[in-house]
Amino acid sequence: MKEVVFERAFDPRRCRHLLEGRTSVLHCHHYSTLYTQLADDCTMLDARGLLARVSAETFFEILSGLQRKHGWHSPAERLAAAERYYAFAGLGKLKIVSAGPDAGEAELERSHIDEGWVRKWGRRNEPVNFITQGFLAAAFAAAFDRTPSDYAVREIVSMVSGADRSRFLVARG
Amino acid sequence: MAIDRKRIIDALSKVTVAGDENGLIPAFGVLVNQLPADFWNGFAQRLTHLVDSDLREAAELLLVNAAHECGYHTGYGIITSEEWKSVVAPMVEKVPEDVLHGAVAVLAAWGWANAEVAELAPGERMVVRAYDYYEADPVVCGRARRPQAFMLRGVCAAFMDLAYGGPYDPTGATGLRTFTCVQTKGIECGDPYGEFVVTRART
Repeated sequence: MKEVVFERAFDPRRCRHLLEGRTSVLHCHHYSTLYTQLADDCTMLDARGLLARVSAETFFEILSGLQRKHGWHSPAERLAAAERYYAFAGLGKLKIVSAGPDAGEAELERSHIDEGWVRKWGRRNEPVNFITQGFLAAAFAAAFDRTPSDYAVREIVSMVSGADRSRFLVARG
Repeated sequence: MAIDRKRIIDALSKVTVAGDENGLIPAFGVLVNQLPADFWNGFAQRLTHLVDSDLREAAELLLVNAAHECGYHTGYGIITSEEWKSVVAPMVEKVPEDVLHGAVAVLAAWGWANAEVAELAPGERMVVRAYDYYEADPVVCGRARRPQAFMLRGVCAAFMDLAYGGPYDPTGATGLRTFTCVQTKGIECGDPYGEFVVTRART
């Protein structure tokens, strides 16, 4: 697959950065991990699931848009583009190890969320990367022409717990 | 005041970032991400509208706090960065007031808001006006009953912490939350701009 160039622009009148035509903002690991912690703490409405769903919906639109723009048709090139977008956004080094329309597996070798969490609060036993759960649902849905809600994603090994890499299982529900 | 806001925005808006070979963006002493505004807005909006009404203010304050900590640590990283030294530092005559004006210009360059300092009582109070900001985007029809620029509230307070809250403390135990911010106007509420009033936090 050729190098993917993501289209950037700055609108000086509104002071907005646009990435692939959408307003994009820079934030830091303090912000992303505090959002994650808020989702983790707010159990009364399953905010973990909410954060993953918002992630899935947002990234599904972006990945689908990139596929249309570049004319990517094969799942392999679509998933490769998703890995590149993930890295470009600063979320980490994601590798989709296996993928089919019904299930797959992914690994995370470096992680903005996990490493940011450890920097800020140290390790913990439970996974925290709800954003990546959503991203993977988006990536599989975009790759196989389905919707993100078709996929359930489980993080079964976590860097935040001390593992050298995180592992995610993806399956159609 | 020697701060040339337009020049800062012109120069620093051109600084682009992308994940390195590890997919990370280590910069300004933090790990940076560049995500769609829709993502941050989507979670904040849904969370604050789904929680029980008696918990809504608490949820809003936690969103503000996320930005307060982000603004404090990243803000410190920005005002000690090479980019700052080359572009903004030569304009700084009066510390910390010019630093504060420069930091709000950087906020605009980063795409957080088209904002400027409207009033400043050194050490006591700052009013920031934002003429465009992404947190107003979710309201596409009608007017919100409550202002919802939680990120800008937190960042404005953080910048006053950095200016007047004592030495920077990487642990956040001191220096952070010496100021607090109230949003008094909002584009999302039908006002022509967002207004953020920062004052000393009550101890």
